[in-house]
Amino acid sequence: MAIGEHENGTSSEDPAVEQVGWRHTVTVIKRDPTARFGLYLIGLLTLVATFTWIDYLVFDYAIAEAVWYHPERDPEVVETILPPAFIDGGTWAHPLGTDHRGRDILVRVIYGTRISITVGFLSTAIGMVGGTAIGSVAGYYGGWVDDVFMRFVETIYSIPFLVLVIAFMAAFGRSITYAMVGVGIAVIPVFARLIRSRVLSVRETDYVEAARAAGVRDSQIILRHVIPNSFAPVLVQGTLQIGISILIIAGLSFLGYGAQPPTPDWGQMLSESRGYMLPQPWFSIWPGLAILVTVMGFNLFGDGLQDAIDPKIDN
Amino acid sequence: MTLLKYTLWRILQTVPVLIGIATITFFLTNAMPGDPVDIMIGADVDEALEAALRERYGLDRPVHERYVIYLINAAQGDFGLSIHYGAPVIDKIIERLPVTMLLVGSAYTFGLGLAIPLGVLSAARRNDWIDHLSRVVALFGVSTPSFWIGLLLIIVFSFHLGWFPSSDLVRPWRGPAAVSGAETWIEVWYLSARSLVLPTIALGTLQMAAATRIERSSMIETLQTDYVKLARGYGVSEQTILRRHAFRPAQLPVITIVGLNVSTALGGSVLIETVFNINGMGRLIITGIQTLDYPLIMGTTLFFGLIFLVGVIVTDISYAYIDPRISYGDRE
Repeated sequence: MAIGEHENGTSSEDPAVEQVGWRHTVTVIKRDPTARFGLYLIGLLTLVATFTWIDYLVFDYAIAEAVWYHPERDPEVVETILPPAFIDGGTWAHPLGTDHRGRDILVRVIYGTRISITVGFLSTAIGMVGGTAIGSVAGYYGGWVDDVFMRFVETIYSIPFLVLVIAFMAAFGRSITYAMVGVGIAVIPVFARLIRSRVLSVRETDYVEAARAAGVRDSQIILRHVIPNSFAPVLVQGTLQIGISILIIAGLSFLGYGAQPPTPDWGQMLSESRGYMLPQPWFSIWPGLAILVTVMGFNLFGDGLQDAIDPKIDN
Repeated sequence: MTLLKYTLWRILQTVPVLIGIATITFFLTNAMPGDPVDIMIGADVDEALEAALRERYGLDRPVHERYVIYLINAAQGDFGLSIHYGAPVIDKIIERLPVTMLLVGSAYTFGLGLAIPLGVLSAARRNDWIDHLSRVVALFGVSTPSFWIGLLLIIVFSFHLGWFPSSDLVRPWRGPAAVSGAETWIEVWYLSARSLVLPTIALGTLQMAAATRIERSSMIETLQTDYVKLARGYGVSEQTILRRHAFRPAQLPVITIVGLNVSTALGGSVLIETVFNINGMGRLIITGIQTLDYPLIMGTTLFFGLIFLVGVIVTDISYAYIDPRISYGDRE
C-alpha cells in the first residue's frame, strides 16, 4: 500500500476521459480568461528569461549596462538603500530603489527571472522524466518491481523537499546547478506516483491487452501506449510543479543554498534585504512580488489545464 | 482486519522507509566535502588528539561498518553524539522537536480552521462573491513564498505596529522563571501565544490555501453525486444536505492532501524558523549542515521523515474511520 493511495479520490479513474483531445483543451483554455492570462504571463517571463540569458552569456551584461545598470557590479556612485521613486527620497533613476550596495533593484529583479524560470523548468523536467520512467515501469510490471521502486519513491517523498535538497547540496556543494538537480530528484515521487496510478488503469484497457496478445514488446507498449495515455495529468501536474519548484528554489536561495551572490536572484535578494527591513522595507517587497507573480502565472495556467482535461469538476 | 491490526501493519510498513531514509542521509552526509574533526579543532593540531576524537565519534572505522553501526544504534534510539554540540543527538532533537511541532500544529490549526469553512461556503455558493473571494485568497496563498509572508508580517506587525515580537518563540512549557517578562504561568502562555501569531500565519497560509482549494473542489464534486441529487429531489434543504450528506464524504480527499502536506509544512518550518529566529528542528538541521555535523544531520533528517510517516499513518487511519466502505488494508 503506497503512501497516499487514496489520492485518486478526486481525479477521474476513467482513462477514456483523456481522449477528449488537444483541440478540446485548446478551446477550453481559449475560453478561460484566467488561464489565458496565466499563459501570457508564463510567455512573457520566459521571454525575459531568454533575453537575460543572452545578455548574461553572450554580452556579459553589456546590454543591461548600456540601457540601464549592471545587475551585479557595484555602481561607482553608491546610493545605498534608496526607496522607490514614488516615495520621498526616491529618484526615477532607480524606480524601485537601490539595494544595500547601491545596485538598482529593478534591474536585479528583472535579471532574477533568469534563475527562477530556468531552474523551475529544468528541475521539473528532471522530475518528470525520472518520475515517468520509474512510475511507468513500476505500474506496468507490478509485483516486486513495483514494490522496490515505490518503496524507494516513498523514501524520497518522506523527507521534506527542502531538507532533502539542502542535504543533497551539503554533500555535493552549493551551486544553483546542484540545487536544480536536487529539486528535480526531490520531485520525482510526485510524478512517479501520478504516472503509476494512471498506468495501473491503462494497463487493463483492451488495446493494451490486444497489443500484448499480438506479441508487442513490453518496452514498446509502455512507450507507445501507456505513457502517451497517461500524459495529460502529468502535464497539469508539471505546470503546477514548476510554480512549486520556483518556490522551493527561492527558499533555498533565501537560506543561502541556491544562487550565490552576486548573481541576481529573488530568494537571495530577500535574504539580503533581511538586515534592512526597518529602515527600508521596500527592499523586501519587490523580489517577493516577483516570485508571487511568477508562481501565480503557472498556477493559473495549470488550473486552466486541469479544468480542460478533467471536465468532472467544471468551473 | 481490525483497526488495531491495521494500525500495527501500517507502522510495520514504515520500517523499510525509515531504513531507506537513514541510508540516503548516511551516504549523502558521507559524501560531504570537508572533515568534521578538522572543522572542530583546526587542521593542524597534534595527531594523538585528532585520533582520539576520531575514535570517539567512530570516524576511524570504514564506511560500511559505520553504516551498520549507525542503523543498529538508531533502531535503539541512539543517534550518536553531535559533533557541534558535544551532546547526544537525541537530546538535541527532544529539545527542539516540540518547538517545531508546536509551530506546525499551530499552522495547521490556523490553516484548516479557515480552509474548511471557506471551502464549504465557496462550494455551496458557487460563483457568488464569497466563492470568488475564497478562490482569490487560495490562489494567492499557494503562490506566495512563506518566508516572504514572514518578512512582510515582521515589517508591518512588529516593526511598524509593534503588536507582535519579530523573533524567538516563547515555549509555553517553560516555567515563569525561565521566561523573561513573565511572573506567572498565565503570562508565559500569553507571551507564547503572542510570539506564535506571526510564524503561524506565515507557515499556515500555504496550508490554508491548499486545503481550501481541495475542500472546494471535493465539496462541489460531492454535491453533484446521485445521492445528493436524490436527497434534493426528496426536498431535503440545501443546509441539511451540506451538513448531513455532503460534508463527511467530501472530507476524504481533503484528509489525504492535508496528510501529505505535513511534508510541505515541515520543509516550510526550516524557512520560517530562520525568518523568526526560532530554535526548532529546522534551524537544527541548518546548524548541522553548516558545521558538518554528520550525526546531527542524519538524526534530524530521520526525524523529519518519521514525523511525516506518522502524519500519513494518522491520515490513513482517519480515512478508514471516516469512510466505513474501506476495509482496512485492501489494496487499491
